[in-house]
Amino acid sequence: MQVEDKTLVLLQPLNLTVAAGESIAIVGSSGSGKTTLLSILAGLDLPSSGQVYLKNQPLHQFNEEQRSQVRAQHVGFIFQQFLLINSLTALENVMLPAELANMPDAQARGEALLAQVGLADRMEHYPSQLSGGEQQRVAIARAFIAKPDILFADEPTGNLDSKTGQHIIDLIFDLNVKEGTTLVLVTHDAKLAARCQRQVEMDSGALTEPLIETALANTDENQADSQTTSHDDLESKTSVSQVG
Amino acid sequence: MSIVKEKASSMWFTQSLRLLHHELRRGELTIIFIAIMLAVATVFSLTGFSGQIKYAIVANSTNTIGADRVLRMSSEVDTSIIEKSQTLALQYARKIETESMAFAGDNMLLSELDAVSDTYPLRGELRIKTSLTQIASVVANAPKLGTVWVEPSVLSRLNVNIGEVIEIGVAQLIIAGIVTDIPDRSYRAFIAGPTVILNIADMPKTELIQPGSRITYKYLFAGETQAIESFEKWIKPQINESQRWYDAKAAQNRLSRILDTAEKFLSLASMLGIVLAAVAVAVASRRYGQRHQPNVSIFKALGASISHVRKLYCLHWTLLSCLSIAAGLVVGYGLMLLGANAIASYLSLADAPLTFVPFLTAIFTGLLCAIAFAIHPIMTLVKSSPLNVIRGFSQEKVARFGWYQLPPLLALFLLLLVFSQDLVMSAALLFGGVVVSFILLLFGRGLMSAGRSVGTKAGKSWHLALANLKRRASENSVQLVSFTIAIMLLLLITVMKSSILLEWEQQFPDDTPNHYLINITQDQIQPLKTFVEEKNIANQGFYHIYRGRLSAINGVKTVDKDDDSQVKNVEKTDDTEKQQAKKTKQQETRQGMGRELGLTWRTELPDENEIIAGQWWQVSDETPQVSIESNIAERLAVKLGDELTFTLGSDEFTVPVTSIRQVNWQSRQLNFIMVFNQSVLEQFPTTSISAWSISDDNRDMVYRFLANFPTITVMDFAAIMAQLNGIIEQVTVAIQLILILVVLAGSLVLIAQVQASMEERERELAILRTLGAKGSLLRNSVLYEFVALGAIAGLMASVGMEIAVYILQSQVFNMSGSFHFQYWLVGIGAGAFFVGLIGMLSCWRLLKLSSVTLIRRTM
Repeated sequence: MQVEDKTLVLLQPLNLTVAAGESIAIVGSSGSGKTTLLSILAGLDLPSSGQVYLKNQPLHQFNEEQRSQVRAQHVGFIFQQFLLINSLTALENVMLPAELANMPDAQARGEALLAQVGLADRMEHYPSQLSGGEQQRVAIARAFIAKPDILFADEPTGNLDSKTGQHIIDLIFDLNVKEGTTLVLVTHDAKLAARCQRQVEMDSGALTEPLIETALANTDENQADSQTTSHDDLESKTSVSQVG
Repeated sequence: MSIVKEKASSMWFTQSLRLLHHELRRGELTIIFIAIMLAVATVFSLTGFSGQIKYAIVANSTNTIGADRVLRMSSEVDTSIIEKSQTLALQYARKIETESMAFAGDNMLLSELDAVSDTYPLRGELRIKTSLTQIASVVANAPKLGTVWVEPSVLSRLNVNIGEVIEIGVAQLIIAGIVTDIPDRSYRAFIAGPTVILNIADMPKTELIQPGSRITYKYLFAGETQAIESFEKWIKPQINESQRWYDAKAAQNRLSRILDTAEKFLSLASMLGIVLAAVAVAVASRRYGQRHQPNVSIFKALGASISHVRKLYCLHWTLLSCLSIAAGLVVGYGLMLLGANAIASYLSLADAPLTFVPFLTAIFTGLLCAIAFAIHPIMTLVKSSPLNVIRGFSQEKVARFGWYQLPPLLALFLLLLVFSQDLVMSAALLFGGVVVSFILLLFGRGLMSAGRSVGTKAGKSWHLALANLKRRASENSVQLVSFTIAIMLLLLITVMKSSILLEWEQQFPDDTPNHYLINITQDQIQPLKTFVEEKNIANQGFYHIYRGRLSAINGVKTVDKDDDSQVKNVEKTDDTEKQQAKKTKQQETRQGMGRELGLTWRTELPDENEIIAGQWWQVSDETPQVSIESNIAERLAVKLGDELTFTLGSDEFTVPVTSIRQVNWQSRQLNFIMVFNQSVLEQFPTTSISAWSISDDNRDMVYRFLANFPTITVMDFAAIMAQLNGIIEQVTVAIQLILILVVLAGSLVLIAQVQASMEERERELAILRTLGAKGSLLRNSVLYEFVALGAIAGLMASVGMEIAVYILQSQVFNMSGSFHFQYWLVGIGAGAFFVGLIGMLSCWRLLKLSSVTLIRRTM
């Protein structure tokens, strides 16, 4: 990334593959680059060089429109800020991804999911009428409604107190297991990270060595859901190994 | 599969409707809704209203003269003119106009008398009803001999019915019908009374036509354009200075011009309202774009395609605009009725048809606003990146100047053009508006910066408030300019209205004459003199009056600049004459008076007159001489010793100027521009004029006495003044109505701006709270910020008002300029209060939030 006359390196060359059904935690301190990595993995952003595959689709070659389509078909999100649409009711917020994926039974699914997260009686409420924990439960329901292959969660408990946070985490993992979703979780909370099958650590834009080895070791190239080989250092031309 | 596909294709539609429905219900779209609605309502009400005023003016007077051309004169026409018109196969009609008392038993009424020939009217329709119960009127020419048609109020005021007899002069005539339409009626406000129409052949029976009577003879001509034009070519050189030849366009009289000016002012003020409403739409639509940015990012992050988002928001915006436009039409219609109602007693708009023009103009305005002002925000909105969901929603900085400013400017220009239908004026307004705004902006910025340095010395809340004001200076400048202009106009109207009315009232002491008696014959003077002495009625004596024209100065024939100026001058008040005297003193050295003058002779210098050059003549001095009023002398560049030539009927005489008088025109004295010594005018036939002060108590007694002299015309000045005051009052109401719209639009801009700065304000308050600022400090700092903004607008408005009032007073109304510091306080106070109130109300929800909520919402 170019800032005035300096080149800022956000991510060092790295190689990460996530297998289908796997749950992986990306941990690291603030500014370590874990959120940048997540946005590239999810196809929200593009690396300045390198390759990203999601469900075997080359996101790095796709324009925004194509990446949108990939997200609509395969991806679910849970954000730290909940990011619900304030002028839509809880149910309508939940239905959105299903509607975008053209699912005919969006409403029934939404209602069922809201009931599952314990909000059966709050379906017609607006986000502003819900507590933080309730809003995040709506966001979780929204994340699972379109039956995504991969769920990206960015500090899902960051804005919640520890008790509510715990409840939210339980929900995410329950649904994750139940739906068989691949989970990519970004957090600086070690306890939360420990609940994932695998943990990688970001530090100054680099994935720490031992974890990458673990990652490579665990790679099953046919079942790989998401893999990234990213090289954001504009100064060097070091080639990046590629899996898949 | 096809069902799924169909559902998918309409999903954006459903989602768009859903969003719109919720957002409308939750009041999230209120500002933009009101902004578009206001723009539409303003345009609709004003286009409709001014259209109806125009229609009423046209219908009541100006453009119909009952013929293609009219020759108006104070004596009968030479037969050669009629013969010529007949050789050209022109149609021709005659009309005699005068004022006279009408009597029925003990009742009397001053009326406008129209004696018409059988061919009248040549153009337009004279419509009458022959019974009160008759619904439809019928077209007529002249009444049969021995009968009259009257306007309805004659019946009620004389307490008579159709079929009964009234007396006009010394003639007894039967009322045969009611007049509903007179094609060439002059505008009603300054006319003596309701109209009575009689056959011109009955006129001699009334004995109203006597030497020196105020009689107007009109000769109406109509025919093929070519014939009319060749007749015009032939007749124009023969028209002398005491005659007028005019067509419909030149016939506009004074009141219609006043209304026309008022209507122009209304248009200008309303354009300001439209511009402000458009600015409100612009600000609100930018806010709309910013507000929806997170939604678009979320939609996109969840996989919505650009086309999905584009369709969704285009529909959203279109529906919103359509709803606002529809609401605007309803509100605008209401406002139009309100405006028409306000001036209803002076101008009946009931018959004026409501055309499609205001509808179409208003809809066009709404669409234009909705498209031109929203195109950039919506394009930016649709482009919102899904990455924002991770990175946060920073408001994208827009370049200060760029192509995106073009559509709004073009739209504004188009709006002004459509509304004014005047290319030059629209361009001037837009350019002038930009320049004035720029000047106000500079001053405003200066004041806001000055406020900042004052603030550092003031208390904590003020410090914070003024720092914020300065920091948000560029956002604030829009509302600063709009409030300044709105406050300035309101102050201007208030100050001008009260100072004009006050000045008029102050000028007239209680014994000021309130009635003029015109057309007094020489043998009537003695009984009248005896009467006023016996009854002790204050009066100004009797003046002989002769109607004549100034035809040459030092042997050089006077010319009028053009026919039109002749028309204008006839209608000018003495005040504006003085004004014009100043303006034109240099370039029009041999400019004539352009009208017939009332001439008189005196032995003594009249009251309220002062000789400023030369000398007043001795009573015994029989050398012909004239004394001229100073302003006119200046305007005509006449000096002592100059020889003036006058035409009286067919006679011409030349006299030297021996004195120049300064006359107090503001007094309601009988004043004369040209006063001669007795020997000059004695030989000519004359009538006399007098001014009496008649109190309400003895009005009846005086009227009854005057009924013995049917040929004398009585003009009730008080009634005319009351009418004039009434008109000023009504026009003011109409203008204030518009200014209320302007203030509303300005408020909307303010609210929209506050809304746009809401997130930023939230963040600031959260930080300040976290740092331990007390609630009262925060509340006061927000309050003071708006109060200061309003006060600055008020201050600038007061200065602007003072300049404008000075220019108007000295240049237009010819009054002495004065300062109005009490209104400065009003302006500053009102600005501070109003802006403070609106600002506080729009921030209220924010200030009510508890610290915890505030911090949670923004962190």
